[in-house]
Amino acid sequence: MTYPALTPAEQSRYEWQMWVRDFGETGQRRLKAASVLISRIGGVGGTVAMHLATAGVGRLVLAHAGDLRLNDLNRQLLMSTADVGSPRIESAARRLRELNPQVVVETVNENLDVSNVGRYVSQVDLVVSAAPLFVERLAMNRAAVRQRKPLVDCAMYDLEGRLITVRPGRTPCLDCLYPESPPLWKREFPVFGAVASTVASIAAMEVIKLLAGFGKPLENQLLSYDLREMSFQTIAIARRPDCPTCGQLSA
Amino acid sequence: MIELRVQYLAQLRTARGVADESCHLPEGATLAQLLTQLAGTHGAEVAKHLYAAAGVVQPSLMIAVNGTAISVRQSSQTLLRSGDVVTLMPPIAGG
Ligand SMILES: [Zn+2]
Repeated sequence: MTYPALTPAEQSRYEWQMWVRDFGETGQRRLKAASVLISRIGGVGGTVAMHLATAGVGRLVLAHAGDLRLNDLNRQLLMSTADVGSPRIESAARRLRELNPQVVVETVNENLDVSNVGRYVSQVDLVVSAAPLFVERLAMNRAAVRQRKPLVDCAMYDLEGRLITVRPGRTPCLDCLYPESPPLWKREFPVFGAVASTVASIAAMEVIKLLAGFGKPLENQLLSYDLREMSFQTIAIARRPDCPTCGQLSA
Repeated sequence: MIELRVQYLAQLRTARGVADESCHLPEGATLAQLLTQLAGTHGAEVAKHLYAAAGVVQPSLMIAVNGTAISVRQSSQTLLRSGDVVTLMPPIAGG
């Protein structure tokens, strides 16, 4: 596979990150050729989108229905106070295009569910799962596994963050970890913007590594940290042979 | 008696009010016995994250012993030893 060349403006824009060992111009060209679906564009997904846009991922598809509310703004780095009451996805897209006009930003003013998720996953190379409801995360996971696309699942609660990378057939998927949709999770949760940003930044770097093909992704492990205690740990996780979503898949 | 450490994450940490604590169990105790003891001593808010119904561990609760996830279905066959660290992780989806 050949990757698109960089224009002089791109050479200049990405100069400092192309100094990163094992990434270089080849990595940058791979990012330029790549596309990522992010759902949703909250404190986590919005910050993932910001880092992927500034890093030069060629095409971003952002999914999130509804208007921006004032109580979203403690964790929204892409949106402004003046945007309250307007569709949040448009505010996010506008800011991303300002940050990096070289990147194609597509917006989907709806939330993903079983009826539409397959279509949007089919349009990209990788999926970022950052929805506040398990039903949406699990729908994305099933579509990503079915289409054999990597999925980076990033979540937070209070001062904690968690990251799981799903590489279908090689690592556990979300259905391996949650045999049933978690019944106690509540749509509204305590959140500091700084915590949402940490897990988003870690997820963005994981996405960049996967797309550019360097470094070591988080395989068969779950990253968990608690900024209240300043403790960081990884937990070894395994595929479930009877997983209805990925149990039959081989690497 | 054996002495081990229990780590509470996310909603369990909120419900229990501490990040971790030590816990004593009889020699030969299993992970299931630990969960029963915790649910019996720390009140309904803690118990609901451990058990979906009487005797039924929350299927989506993630449990790790010494940094390795253990299937909830294995909890009555998993023997605990002194010095073990048991991490209890309710699922989170804040985005
Ligand atoms: Zn699976």
